[in-house]
Amino acid sequence: MAATLAEHRARQRRAAALYWALALLATAFFFFPVFWMFASAFKSDAVSSTYPPVFLFAPSLENFAHLFTEAGAGRALWNSFFIVTLSTLLAMIAGTMAAYALARFDLRGKNTLALEILSIRMLPPIVSVIPLFMIARWLGVFDTPWLLIAVYTLTGLPFVVWIMRVFIQDIPQSVEEAAMIDGCGRIEAFWRVTLPLLLPGLAATMVIVFMFAWNEFLLASLLTSSEAKTLPVIAANAIKPKAIAFGLACAAGVVMSVPVIVLVLMMQKYLVQGLTLGAVKG
Amino acid sequence: MSVQIINVEKAFGSHRVVRGVSVDIADGEFFVMLGPSGCGKTTTLRMVAGLELPTSGEIRIQGRNVTYEEPRHRDIAMAFQDYGLYPHLSVRGNIEFPLKVRREDPATRMRKVEEVAEKMGIHHLLDRKPGQISGGQRQRVSLARALVRNPKVFLMDEPLSNLDAKLRAVMRTEIKKLVTELGITTIYVTHDQVEAMSMADRIAVMKDGDMVQVASPLEMYERPRTRFVAEFIGSPAMNLLPARPGSGGRLTCEIPVLAELLPEAELALNPAALAGGAGFVGIRPEHLSIAETPEKGDFVALVDLVEPLGQTTNVHLRAGGETRIIAVVDRTRAQPGDTVGISVRSDSLRLVAA
Repeated sequence: MAATLAEHRARQRRAAALYWALALLATAFFFFPVFWMFASAFKSDAVSSTYPPVFLFAPSLENFAHLFTEAGAGRALWNSFFIVTLSTLLAMIAGTMAAYALARFDLRGKNTLALEILSIRMLPPIVSVIPLFMIARWLGVFDTPWLLIAVYTLTGLPFVVWIMRVFIQDIPQSVEEAAMIDGCGRIEAFWRVTLPLLLPGLAATMVIVFMFAWNEFLLASLLTSSEAKTLPVIAANAIKPKAIAFGLACAAGVVMSVPVIVLVLMMQKYLVQGLTLGAVKG
Repeated sequence: MSVQIINVEKAFGSHRVVRGVSVDIADGEFFVMLGPSGCGKTTTLRMVAGLELPTSGEIRIQGRNVTYEEPRHRDIAMAFQDYGLYPHLSVRGNIEFPLKVRREDPATRMRKVEEVAEKMGIHHLLDRKPGQISGGQRQRVSLARALVRNPKVFLMDEPLSNLDAKLRAVMRTEIKKLVTELGITTIYVTHDQVEAMSMADRIAVMKDGDMVQVASPLEMYERPRTRFVAEFIGSPAMNLLPARPGSGGRLTCEIPVLAELLPEAELALNPAALAGGAGFVGIRPEHLSIAETPEKGDFVALVDLVEPLGQTTNVHLRAGGETRIIAVVDRTRAQPGDTVGISVRSDSLRLVAA
């Protein structure tokens, strides 16, 4: 018996090693572009155009310098921060309140209402560009952060409403009712009881809405000209009519991805909870 | 009067869930609303709590009209079927919550929480989260949270139905003892007739949004007014034999002896019983006695099945053709297929409405 047990163990180890190798391979496959981006960002133009590519090189900050001095990335970074943070917050606040109403109150035709909200999302953004452009010109907000804030809030809103509605429905109504009987009004019950329970869902939703707005290019490129340009627009400027400045593009990519990575790491604890919540009922 | 429910109706759309319920509940009374699911008992309770608003009618607590008041202004406490504990707060945080919301000072809060936790036997759990304790302990926490602020009225919505049978029996006694001791007016909703019978000062049996009978547990058991109540309360249920007025004002029944034995006074006690043209003669299974050889005045029945339960024995019988009845006796030597004599005392016969 001892021999077969040893055999069994050996077989298990071999299988584990195989899975491990496959997992590494898959990770390498998906991580390579990220690695390439980071590496290219620190290569000077002379190094990045060599073939075969080199993996050992003296890192240079040339691309970053160019990005912030000549390409106007500093201004764009600030614009991106301001626009995306504010629109994410607005979408989260308004969206969560709407989701609460849809989840908790007996509203006539609330499913139609919810579908109506989602329909904004069904519209391809390109379709709305020309009307948005005209309205913006008329209101005098073209090429200001406010236009993009409004647009990103609107596009984020349906997503927040639909996701948060599910999270709110997952919280038993009796918990809120208990709070109301214990002396809270509806708003206080929401604040003291529902909101703390929603944190994982809020964090997960917020990260997704933030990322969507942060990476948005199409509307940002068409609804700004100089003042309100965001980072994706600057990054796209690296593609010139005659050549692509890979180093510059990658440097912009690095600058863009760092805040998202930081945000995800900060929210990691909640994210895992939020993304798996509802999968298994506690 | 502690709680008055006056002609309260509730409709969801065109569906009337509660149809004009009226009842006065006295100070310190333990009032149970009993009925099958969908009978409107929980909706009625939620209207008293302020979690639903009545379509019409009035609710008064301590004489004050609170029909449209928010729950927090009614001075009530409530225990929920799924406990309704706050999962993100510790047991201490849960019990403290109503005091905190009412901005009592920390020292008083601390003292009251300790006191009530001691009383409920959950002192050792104060620092745990609701997710880390058992169902029975959770229900204790929810009771503690309700009791900590000394409410005037305590509402309970099937608080024991998520517990196992043994624990349910224990909690039943504890709750009854506790609220009687504290003298809190309690409205308790359940579909379990044993809970209702053992705990209530008064029971309201509900059906299709109506209170069909409101009475003390024993009266409800002794004198059910309608077939629904007769069958809902008591296990095995009351034997009901269709009866209708015959010629000369006497009742006729499938087992003629029973109609003959029924005291005249019964009709006066439940005058509505024959309103629809027909009613039932009812008799509790334990009021039938079995004799192996029929005597004078007995009626004859065929034994179908004998179920010995230990304490008592259920004997399933057929009499007067195909009428099935059940007798509950201590012990019997009767076997399926035997013909036995059944005797009845006339004062245990009832007239019950259809």
